[in-house]
Amino acid sequence: MKTIIPKTWLAAGALGLVSSTMTLTTTAHADVAPAALVGPVADYKLYVLDNLEQLVSHTEDFTAAVQAGDVDKAQALYAPTRVYYERIEPIAELFADLDASIDAREDDYEKGVEDPDFTGFHRLEYALFHDNSTQGMETYALGLMDDVNDLDGRVQDLTFPPQTVVGGAAALMEEVAATKVSGEEDRYSRTDLWDFQGNVDGAREIFDLFKPLAAKEDADFVARVQDNFDDVEATLADYRLDADDPNAGFESYDKVSDADRRALTGPVTVLAEDLSTLRGVLGLN
Amino acid sequence: MSGLGVALGGFALGSACPARALAATGHGQDVTSAPQQQDSQLRYPFHGLHQQGVVTPRPASGMLVAFDVLARDRDDLETLLKILTERIAFLTQGGRIPERDPLFPPPDSGILGPQIAPDGLTVTLAVGDSLFDDRYGLGDVRPRHLQRMQGFPNDALEAARCHGDLALQICANTLDTGYHALRDIIKNTPGLLMVRWKQEGTVPLLPPAPGDVDGSARNFLGFRDGSANPEGDDAALMDELVWVGKHHDEPAWANGGSYLAARIIRNFVERWDRTPLHEQEMIFGRRKVSGAPLSEDGPEGKEQDVPDYSSDPEGEITPLDAHIRLANPRTPETAGNRILRRPFNYSNGVEANGQLDMGLLFLCFQADLEAGFITVQQRLDGEPLEEYIKPVGGGYFFVLPGAQDDTDFLGRSLLAATA
Repeated sequence: MKTIIPKTWLAAGALGLVSSTMTLTTTAHADVAPAALVGPVADYKLYVLDNLEQLVSHTEDFTAAVQAGDVDKAQALYAPTRVYYERIEPIAELFADLDASIDAREDDYEKGVEDPDFTGFHRLEYALFHDNSTQGMETYALGLMDDVNDLDGRVQDLTFPPQTVVGGAAALMEEVAATKVSGEEDRYSRTDLWDFQGNVDGAREIFDLFKPLAAKEDADFVARVQDNFDDVEATLADYRLDADDPNAGFESYDKVSDADRRALTGPVTVLAEDLSTLRGVLGLN
Repeated sequence: MSGLGVALGGFALGSACPARALAATGHGQDVTSAPQQQDSQLRYPFHGLHQQGVVTPRPASGMLVAFDVLARDRDDLETLLKILTERIAFLTQGGRIPERDPLFPPPDSGILGPQIAPDGLTVTLAVGDSLFDDRYGLGDVRPRHLQRMQGFPNDALEAARCHGDLALQICANTLDTGYHALRDIIKNTPGLLMVRWKQEGTVPLLPPAPGDVDGSARNFLGFRDGSANPEGDDAALMDELVWVGKHHDEPAWANGGSYLAARIIRNFVERWDRTPLHEQEMIFGRRKVSGAPLSEDGPEGKEQDVPDYSSDPEGEITPLDAHIRLANPRTPETAGNRILRRPFNYSNGVEANGQLDMGLLFLCFQADLEAGFITVQQRLDGEPLEEYIKPVGGGYFFVLPGAQDDTDFLGRSLLAATA
C-alpha cells in the first residue's frame, strides 16, 4: 500500500509531553459558551436519527433474509447493516441492555457461542459465516429486529448530553484501538474494515461539527486531528473494493497486511490521545 | 526538537545523588546478589558513557518490553529517541508531575501519586535487528553480531513473544514504579511505538543479616541464580566482557553499548518439585541450599567457591553435562564466553493443564553476542535441565550507548553515523 501521508500527525507524539508541561504556565480553560454547543449537538442528533433510520431499514432486509433462509443474501447484508450501528455507538451504548443484546461478542459470555444470552449481530454472524447456515436463527433475527426498533424509539426521546456527544469522538477511536485493529470484532465474516470505517465516520462527524469551536481554542490541534483522520481514511481507502462506490465495501480483514495494521495503529492511537482532550478543549465537564 | 527543552524545564528534576546509588552497591555485591533494601530515594544518574540497568545491581523487579516502531521515517525516529530520552531522564531522577486542567486527561497515570520517587528505577533502551531494515537507512551500521534470534533445539518460540524493533528493560524496587514508567512512556509516544510483548518478573528480597555473605537470589527452581557472574563493579572486566569498545571491531557509534539477549524460559515447576533433590543438584552442579559447587565428601562449601573441574575430568563429582559446567567450563579457552546475567522470575497464571506458568525472564549482557550468549547456549543444548524448561520467547537487542549530557540523546550516535 502507499503510505504517502503528511507527517503532521506525528507532532502529537511530542505534544503529549509538551502540553502536559505547558499547563504549568497557562490555564487552558476553554471559553466556549454553553449556548454555542446547542447547534452542533442538535445537528448530531439529526445525524444519529438519520443513521438509525438506515439501521432500521437495513436490519429489516437483513433479518428477512435470515428468516427466508437465504444465506448468501444475509451474508451480503451483514456488514452494510452493521455500519450504521457502528457510526452511532456513543449514543447506542447509552442503552447498555440493548447494546449487549444487539452487539455483544461471544467473548462477553462465559459459555461463549453456546451461551443462551448471546444474541444479536454477532450470533447471526457466527451462524452465517461459521456454520454457513440460518438454521435455528429465526428467533435471533426477530429479536434483533425488535431490539433495533426499541433502540430507535428510545433515541428519539433522548436528550443528547453535550459531554456525551463530544466525548463520543474519543470513545469511537477507543473502540477502533481496542477491537478493530486487532481484527477481533468480526472474526467470522472478516468484515472488520466496514466497522472500522463506521467508527471513524462517526468520530469524524462529531469532530467536524465541533471543529469551528475547537479551532478558536486550538487551531494546531484541529489541523493535526484532521490530518490523522485523513491518514486513517487513506489507508482504509486502499482496501475498498471499488474506489468510486462506497457501498461496494472492503476487502476481507485477512487481506490487511501486518505492515498496514501497524500503519493504522499509529494514527489511530494519536487520534485516541488527541480526541481524549476534545472535551477539555471545549471546556466541557 | 523544540518541545524537549520546554518539557525538561517544566519538570522539577530531582538533584542527582550518585552517592546514594553507590552506597547501595555495597561491598563485594554482584549484579545478581539478592536485593536487600528498597530505598525509594535510590537514584541512579541518567547521563553517562553507558546506560544504567546493565552493571547496575539488580533490584527486586524488572520487565522487558519489546516494541514495534511505528515512526515513518528518520525524522520521526529521531523524535521518538528524544522523547524516550527525556522521559527516561525524568522518570529515573524523579520529580513532581505537573498539574493539568481537570477537564483534560491527567498528564500521567497517577499510580505513584503526584511526587515521583526514583525508587531505583532504570530504563535501558535497546534496539533490535529489525530496526536496521530498509525503513530508516540504518542498515550500513548494524552492530556486527545483531541478528534475529533463531530457535535453539529445545525452544518452542511463540511468535507473539519474540523479537522487536526496540526494547526497554525497566527495573525498579517495585513493579508499580516500572508500570508507571511504562505507561508514561506509552502515553508520550502515540503513533511512534506499539507494544509487541512484555514480560515482568521479580526476585525475592533478602533482608541483611549480621555476618552474612551476599548470596545470589533464587530462581523458581529454588537454586541460586547468578553465582559466578562476572563482577559488575570490576570496570576492566566489564570493558572486556560487557561493554562494546574499540577492541571489539564494531561500528564506532556502538562504543559504550552492549548486546542484550532476552529469553522467556518456562519452568515446569510441578515436575521439578517431584524430582529428587540429589538429581536436581546433579542437573545444576550445585547444592540447592547453599549454592556451593558439588564437592567430594567433606564439609559443604559455599556459593562463592570456584569449582575445580580439572581434578574431575570424568565428571564423577560434577557431571560433565551439569548446567554450570556446560555454561562455564572454567577453562582459559572459554573465559571469553562469560556473560553478565541479570534475570528475573516470572509468574503468569495457569496453563490449560492446571500447571503454573512460571519461569525465568533470562536477561544477559555481553560485548559479543556470538561469543557470549549464543556460544553458551549452544554448549547447553541437550543438557539434562531441558526436561524441566522450555524457552518460549525473547529476542536479541543492542543496548545503545549512554546519553552523555543534556544536549545528548539515546541513539544520537547511531543516527549521526548514517546521516
